Amino acid sequence: MKTGTYIELVGEFYEGAVFVYGTTLLLIYALLAVLSLSAVRRFQKLDSHVDYSLLLNSKLTPGISVIAPAFNESLTIIENVHSLLNLNYPKYEVIIVNDGSTDDSLEKMVREFDLVEVDFAYNERLKTKPIKRIFKSSNPAYNKLTIVDKVNGKAKADASNAGINASSFDYFICTDVDSILDRDTIMKLVKPVMDDSKKRIIATGATLRMANSCVVEQGFMQRVVVPNQLLPRFQEIEYIRSFVMGKMGWSVINCVPNVSGGLGMFDKEIAINAGGYDPQSFGEDMELVIRMMTYCINYQINYAIRYIPITLCWTEGPATIKVYGRQRARWARGLAQLMWQHRKLVFNPNYGRLGMIVMPYNFVFELLAPIVEALGIIYYIVIIFLDAINWDYAILLLVFVYTYAIMISTLSILWDQITYQTYKTSREIITLCLTAFFEMVVYHPLIVFYSIKGYYNFLGNRKHTWGNMQRQGFGQGGARARTVTATS
Amino acid sequence: MATNGTQILLIDDDELILKVINRILQKEGYVVTTASNGKDALEYLERDKFDLLITDLMMPYSNGFEVISRFKQHPNAAGVPIIVISSVGTENAVKEGLNIGADDYLRKPIMPDELLIRVRRLLKK
Amino acid sequence: MLLDSLFGPFFRKYFYYYDSYPIVIQIAILLTGVAITTTFIAYSSILTRRANGYLKDVRSKKINQFLDNLITDHIIFNEDVMNGISPQEAILDITPFTKPVFKQKWVKQALIDRLIYFSQSFSGDRNVLFRRLFMELELEKLSFKKLKSISNSTKIVGLVELTSMGIAVADVIILPLTNSKNRKLRSEARIAYIKLSKNDPFKFFDDATEPLLLWDQLELYKIITTTEGLTIPNFARWITYSPNKSIVSFCLKLVIHYNQHEAIPAIVKLLSTKDHYVRADAINCLGKLKADSVEEHLVSIYNNQPLRCQLEILKALGRFGTGRQINFLRSEFLRSNDFDIKKNAARSLINHGMQTKEIVQQLIDTASPDNAIILKHCMNPLIKY
Repeated sequence: MKTGTYIELVGEFYEGAVFVYGTTLLLIYALLAVLSLSAVRRFQKLDSHVDYSLLLNSKLTPGISVIAPAFNESLTIIENVHSLLNLNYPKYEVIIVNDGSTDDSLEKMVREFDLVEVDFAYNERLKTKPIKRIFKSSNPAYNKLTIVDKVNGKAKADASNAGINASSFDYFICTDVDSILDRDTIMKLVKPVMDDSKKRIIATGATLRMANSCVVEQGFMQRVVVPNQLLPRFQEIEYIRSFVMGKMGWSVINCVPNVSGGLGMFDKEIAINAGGYDPQSFGEDMELVIRMMTYCINYQINYAIRYIPITLCWTEGPATIKVYGRQRARWARGLAQLMWQHRKLVFNPNYGRLGMIVMPYNFVFELLAPIVEALGIIYYIVIIFLDAINWDYAILLLVFVYTYAIMISTLSILWDQITYQTYKTSREIITLCLTAFFEMVVYHPLIVFYSIKGYYNFLGNRKHTWGNMQRQGFGQGGARARTVTATS
Repeated sequence: MATNGTQILLIDDDELILKVINRILQKEGYVVTTASNGKDALEYLERDKFDLLITDLMMPYSNGFEVISRFKQHPNAAGVPIIVISSVGTENAVKEGLNIGADDYLRKPIMPDELLIRVRRLLKK
Repeated sequence: MLLDSLFGPFFRKYFYYYDSYPIVIQIAILLTGVAITTTFIAYSSILTRRANGYLKDVRSKKINQFLDNLITDHIIFNEDVMNGISPQEAILDITPFTKPVFKQKWVKQALIDRLIYFSQSFSGDRNVLFRRLFMELELEKLSFKKLKSISNSTKIVGLVELTSMGIAVADVIILPLTNSKNRKLRSEARIAYIKLSKNDPFKFFDDATEPLLLWDQLELYKIITTTEGLTIPNFARWITYSPNKSIVSFCLKLVIHYNQHEAIPAIVKLLSTKDHYVRADAINCLGKLKADSVEEHLVSIYNNQPLRCQLEILKALGRFGTGRQINFLRSEFLRSNDFDIKKNAARSLINHGMQTKEIVQQLIDTASPDNAIILKHCMNPLIKY
């Protein structure tokens, strides 16, 4: 048995490390489940008494800018802009940033909304690609609308920044023009900001979901349906888990790592002072939030990020493996890039929770997880070949992890049902619950594979892409959900 | 009754308001068509002629401003009076509503008697 | 080791080798059991929630339909009121509301909710009738009972019901609640107090130690500005004396709403406060009151102010529109490098209307492209902000 010692030694060390890693992760999930349950219930209890219509009538209602970049969205742009113009809120503006579309999006909008070019005093606080023209509608029915036509910047970040520059209010909501928003979105996102006087609320977010099989009419959500296709349905579970359990849980201890690029409201002053979105980033939404938090800590601003456990935004999830793979590789690359850029924050006690919880968690359990898992699979294969595996133990552990993962997913679905009974039929819920059974064997390996691919791209391209503007373009990467993936 | 055959289009996304005002107007002898959003309302506008339009402002699909502006552009609708009923009661909103072509602006909560008086007055003109 | 006692025997029975496993594996097996159990509890919870929700929906849809028709028939179409008899004296037939079906508690609650909904949608004479119906059916007793509950959320429900229906509650009951630790209860109690208290509705302003959140201000503002028959005090009282900044800035908003010129001296004193947020609010208030007597003073302090206050001063000068500060605005517009200062100076110049038409045109003709575009931006009626 002498030949086996070396492998055994490595094996023992590896098993020990993975044991600690896995146990910690499982404990974190258990903790998040408890925290998010308390947050969801609290929200549910208070929200039923809130009279949101107060906002409609008051002089004290704060103004909000809604910013939506658009790149070649000609097919749906008219409907989507109409729906953005019809949100339930008395004081807001809609800024559509046409990011150098090469189709007829702009012409269509000009015709539909009677747009005229105006002399607009544009304040370039955040540097972007040049602005070509700015339009307003000559029809008073659309006086909320501003269209910014700019040179393509090959990044959603650049377009969002231009929208921020053109905006007039203290808070802005960032979304994608093809996302479907709930009509009460602004009211619901504003509430947490008005509900705190001790902390400055620098961002609020809400749950995102898949729009794939939903019935949408003229840009409005008619009926929410669980996606029929398998891949989007996996993503639906993933999103519910990530938002309702993950972000809600983290928000209780003010450790929200990210406000999704699909929908989020931000404090403009802080966002601008922190430097706005980074067009070089592959994960510009999370990157901005991390920078805003860093800024607040540097300037001793007592900040908080809030999440609400109701779905306000639906986005089309990738339905083919190819598009999905591109999206996930991009996210993974964004995460790696962000961790590298902000590596000084990790385990830095000067940055409080950000340095000691948010960044370490994302480094150890988000960034490293796919690598640990991949190594784990390789290790198993090796010991199977060497016939050194204890099948009993291996299977028992696997069964445990499998049932635990299903439990977490099912609980997320339950928590979600507490606040928001979105689906009409119980059949849909049952399908969703059953899908959770296949997640670990079918869907999860995809995440691992494409994440590692993303890391590989990051390492491979780091030298030459850092600095120039070669981007994959936005569109797929818009809605972003950091995932809570049950792994061991 | 003098009100016989007078066609009113009533648009509001609040089902209670829609139901109750509909009944109030019907009792007075008006013929009422109801729509719960701007999109449906615009479809009715294409099909029928109305003598008066009562509309809410914030509704799904097409908001009241859009309905009013489309309505104003419609060749059949020249001179047809418009009443806005809205829970948005800020000065700006009222100004905007009147600017865009509404003849009257009523804030919610609504006084049924007041509404009736205004309806009668506008129809007399 | 509660887990072990729960699941241990089961595993010992079916896996005879259970005890020979290392502790880690034993724990894993136990937790597997827990996970499976939890998952099944979750399933049944999801399904029962849905079933209950569905039944409730169907039930409440049906009852609401019924109640809506009943209320419309008997209250909205009350013959006496329609014939011009005052709602206090009109004959109100409550027998349709005393049918056996109303014996059930949930139907009674549905009626309360529906009456509140009606009274929020319709006002005037009908509102008096809604209230009379509420009282004559003795529904307020149910609300008062809720108010006595131990649970805060039940108390809130009771309070909201009474406030919505305009039923007076004794000060002794409400006042302690205005200092409750429960934020929602506190704010509802304040609302109820303002709306229903006969003596001094603004009393809690004096000793409010907690900051008034923006949302609370929204609620209070609505109640204060829409409650009929409320005696409005001179808010200068709190602007001068309150140590609570949020109360001060809320009072400034109320001063604007009621156009209380008598509060101007108190507001002017605020201009020397250290907190520049409050100071900016004060300047804003003076501008909206068109208190142009302080114009000179504002201009004289302008240079020592932070940006936020400078912007408010520029706005105020535009609101005054006296024409005495045109040169100041013009020179600020040309001098400053700050975009917001330029924009606000330009806007205030343009707000002077005819008085400055020539000056503005002259500025456009001679200004740099950047300056000209700011002026054109502010002059364009299509651009609101």
